Amino acid sequence: MQSARFEDLGGPHGTLNADALRADARRESFGLLALLSPGLLLVFTVIIVPIGWLFWLSLYDETGALSAANYARFFEQASYIRTFITTFKVAFFVTGACVLLGYPLAYMLSQLPRRAASICLIFVILPFWTSVLVRTYAWLVILQRKGLANSWLIDLGVISQPLPLANNFAGVIIGMTHIMLPFLVLPLYASMKTIDTDCLRAGMNLGASPAATFRQIFFPLSLPGLASGVVIVFVLCLGFFVTPALMGGGKVIMWAMRMEQTTSLYSNWGAGAALGVVLLAVTLALLGLFQWLLGARATGVWSSR
Amino acid sequence: MEGSGAEALLRSVCAMNDPEPREMLLSIAPSALPIGISGIEKRFGGVSVLRDLSLDVAAGEFLTLLGPSGSGKTTLLMILAGFVRANFGSIKVGGEEIITTPPHRRNIGMVFQNYALFPHMNVFHNIAFPLKQRRVSAADTAERVEKALDLVQLKGLGERRVDQLSGGQRQRVALARAIVFEPRIVLMDEPLSALDKGLREHMQIELRNLHRRLGMTTVYVTHDQREAITMSDRIAVMNAGRIEQIDRPEVLYARPQTRFVAGFIGDSSFIPVECRNGSVWYEDRKIRMAAMAPSSGSHLMVVRPEKLRLVTDAEPSGSVNVLPATVGDVIYQGDSFVCYAVLRDGQQVTLRDYCRSDVLAKLPRPGEPVNLGIDAEDVVLVAAD
Amino acid sequence: MTRISCIHSLALAGLLASAAVPAMAADTITVASWGGTYQEAQTKAFFKPTADALGITIKEDTTNGLDDVRLQVTGNAVKWDITELGADECARGSKEGLFEKLDYSVIDKSGINPKLVHDDWVGISYTSVVLIYRTDVFGDKGPKTWADFWNVEKFPGRRALSGSQATETLSVAALAEGIPIDKVYPVDIDGALKSVDKVKGHIDAWWTSGAQAMQLVKDGEVDMASIWNGRAGTLKKEGAPVAFSFDQGVLTADCMVIPKGSKNKDIAMKALAKFVSPELQANLPLYVDNGPANEKAFETGKIPPERIKDINSAPENVKKQVLQDPAFWRDTLVEATEKFNNLVQQ
Repeated sequence: MQSARFEDLGGPHGTLNADALRADARRESFGLLALLSPGLLLVFTVIIVPIGWLFWLSLYDETGALSAANYARFFEQASYIRTFITTFKVAFFVTGACVLLGYPLAYMLSQLPRRAASICLIFVILPFWTSVLVRTYAWLVILQRKGLANSWLIDLGVISQPLPLANNFAGVIIGMTHIMLPFLVLPLYASMKTIDTDCLRAGMNLGASPAATFRQIFFPLSLPGLASGVVIVFVLCLGFFVTPALMGGGKVIMWAMRMEQTTSLYSNWGAGAALGVVLLAVTLALLGLFQWLLGARATGVWSSR
Repeated sequence: MEGSGAEALLRSVCAMNDPEPREMLLSIAPSALPIGISGIEKRFGGVSVLRDLSLDVAAGEFLTLLGPSGSGKTTLLMILAGFVRANFGSIKVGGEEIITTPPHRRNIGMVFQNYALFPHMNVFHNIAFPLKQRRVSAADTAERVEKALDLVQLKGLGERRVDQLSGGQRQRVALARAIVFEPRIVLMDEPLSALDKGLREHMQIELRNLHRRLGMTTVYVTHDQREAITMSDRIAVMNAGRIEQIDRPEVLYARPQTRFVAGFIGDSSFIPVECRNGSVWYEDRKIRMAAMAPSSGSHLMVVRPEKLRLVTDAEPSGSVNVLPATVGDVIYQGDSFVCYAVLRDGQQVTLRDYCRSDVLAKLPRPGEPVNLGIDAEDVVLVAAD
Repeated sequence: MTRISCIHSLALAGLLASAAVPAMAADTITVASWGGTYQEAQTKAFFKPTADALGITIKEDTTNGLDDVRLQVTGNAVKWDITELGADECARGSKEGLFEKLDYSVIDKSGINPKLVHDDWVGISYTSVVLIYRTDVFGDKGPKTWADFWNVEKFPGRRALSGSQATETLSVAALAEGIPIDKVYPVDIDGALKSVDKVKGHIDAWWTSGAQAMQLVKDGEVDMASIWNGRAGTLKKEGAPVAFSFDQGVLTADCMVIPKGSKNKDIAMKALAKFVSPELQANLPLYVDNGPANEKAFETGKIPPERIKDINSAPENVKKQVLQDPAFWRDTLVEATEKFNNLVQQ
């Protein structure tokens, strides 16, 4: 724009300036490219190339011939589809549980004074510093038939028969919810902190009860944070391994576990690679869907009616 | 804002003088109610923010709370709105006690400093929000929002997103939202502080105009004395949790009752004087004053720069007091000049006058001795601290 | 295959180059096994004595199985000179050509079950799949046979079977149908699957690791389970209220191989010969419950007589058990496992 205006001036000085400006712009974009290149190179070598490779491998069968056998297997063997459905079911329930537990928690944190909130946040983040394996075993100790939860409930006379909490679907959901919760709470808390207190005051001032203010103002404004938390949790769930492997009692087989089984069962990498490709494709499709659904919702305007 | 702003300014100025103002823009004119604030006390932790504060606002009055930051003016506004609960005291609106009423049942409109528009709603839904809470029908809502938009000169912008608006436009939306439900009272918390100077001055006139047309009782908070003087029916000057003085702007300016008020509103020099037996003495000079002089004690004479003028006579004549001084510096400002002078006891005073040719001809030079005259009418005394 | 190898070599050469054993260290070999107490026992029984006898250094590593070997061999980045595998993995890897040929003029194969002696792999030890039950639930009247385990009316209680080792669970399922131990192989896979189908609704956990099986029984999460004898022995030693026997056990062999491309093949051969020799084989039961693959070990007199009855590969115990046939599973593993997964995973 600037250079165009100089060109309009014409004359030798005009072109001189225009040339200098163009050279400046070129230098600047080269400079930016140079700054970017280490990152781009890294992304290319550790993400793009291996994924391309994975896809390439998935196209070869055990004899090394180009074939769709690795993908055809999903339809020939019923267990793959079931595993796939289980994976989504688990991700769905865990995400739901995280929202139900995480939203009130994040809300409470956002309402606390800064000092108290940062202390509470440490307790939210603390589990991050413990290995997932250890935490999952701890849940096993608590939830199994003769575990803490059941023995206390029986001692208290609440139940007479132990509840089936471990080595099944419920166990996987409980264990994974615990591990995923911070991934939801942190972005949600961050977005709640940015909500202007005056907006809530304005809501009340304009005649909305505290509940209505929450529903019509706070909740919609917290949606972007909730959306990113939900996406993070859901996507992480899809690839989860340790907790379902330990808490599922072999009855809840998720996609990542299936990958491990398939990789050791078949002598070609393609068998496992195909599973990875499918998970990646589905995850990307889901991200696109979330973007389409929630992105517009979170940033755009919609009728409040 | 540039072109349209000037046009809008012109329109609103015209509207001010319009013999037939568009009075009934809103279907029902809000019935203004008086506010009676008495004995309000607010402590945060151990710190008193408001001390035994009482104040009456007449129905339909535009009252401004003016004071430096930390004077408690915003806290008082928050107590009025119901966001902050007072430790003691009572607030009556039209005789009805509201001190324990939750904010959403107070029916008080408020314009926030940062507008507090709902970013997830468009302009229409922002303004319709209070109507929706009151279960106004959709058709009625649309009509009233349209009228409110028209009133704040934003016709046709209902579908705009909040982040697509300029600062001035946001301000208007906030205003429309605060009055669309015809509240009994409107509170404004430094609503113009985020605007640039030109727009701010324009909005001052527009707000004032709007108040005249709608006639709602308005409590306005600002730390800008010029804004307060321009807009208000009355100004309550607040300092350290107390009201120092509450008066019409011209009285407040002309007759400040405390040194704080005199210093906060307008420029002043303070000259220490002694009162003995009903007369006022500055050094060996008797000061003539129109008002009744205090019987005794040390006081300060409030001297406004524009009340001083250069006189030729060294002796007082008629009702003019004369103070001999030496010129320190003279600053030419185009339309006016400012002269800094030092009295004989070292007290510094400031004189401002317009650059009329007769004055300019006699403009003193630094170091030159001059005589400063002040009318007995303009002599104001406040208690020395 | 060549194309894939090429891709692997590209992928892995860089990754593993640093980990590869330097060629100059010819008197050092690296042996990989399963880790844990089992490998500690092997260190004492096999590795240390061999290193001392041959004057070499034996470095140790741990393996996850055939995948690791495949990764190294196809990636041209072999860092192990000897590695342990399950016998069926050895059979499959052999088919894929992942191992060096063994020189039986160096390695003395006498005393090792001929089914475990092959061109490129040799048996090293035995693990048994046994039926364990909790005595605090059943007293001494617990399920003794797999038919008992399958009989949910007579033996009510919570049950666990292996979900990851389809071959073992299918063998056990065949036994549960009343097939005599010498008729289990070749396994009628569809028949065995039908047998699994009968009991699957009563299985509370399908374990995927030895540790998990042990934990399930130890914590009383299940009342009976299939389990590896080493884990069962550990539970008993720890004082858990459990009982098990080798009756109707499924003997599975572990084997050792030299991955193709090993840089110290000759020394590895000598070391492997030592590992399978009766003298060192006899050391193994002194430290762990996994029995020696070489039955001559029982003739060395090193193993105390009262210990012999607890060893799964002792001649009397072998008679009570089914020996898993690696050659059979080499050809049927994929099909059987997929079918098993279809049945079990839902």
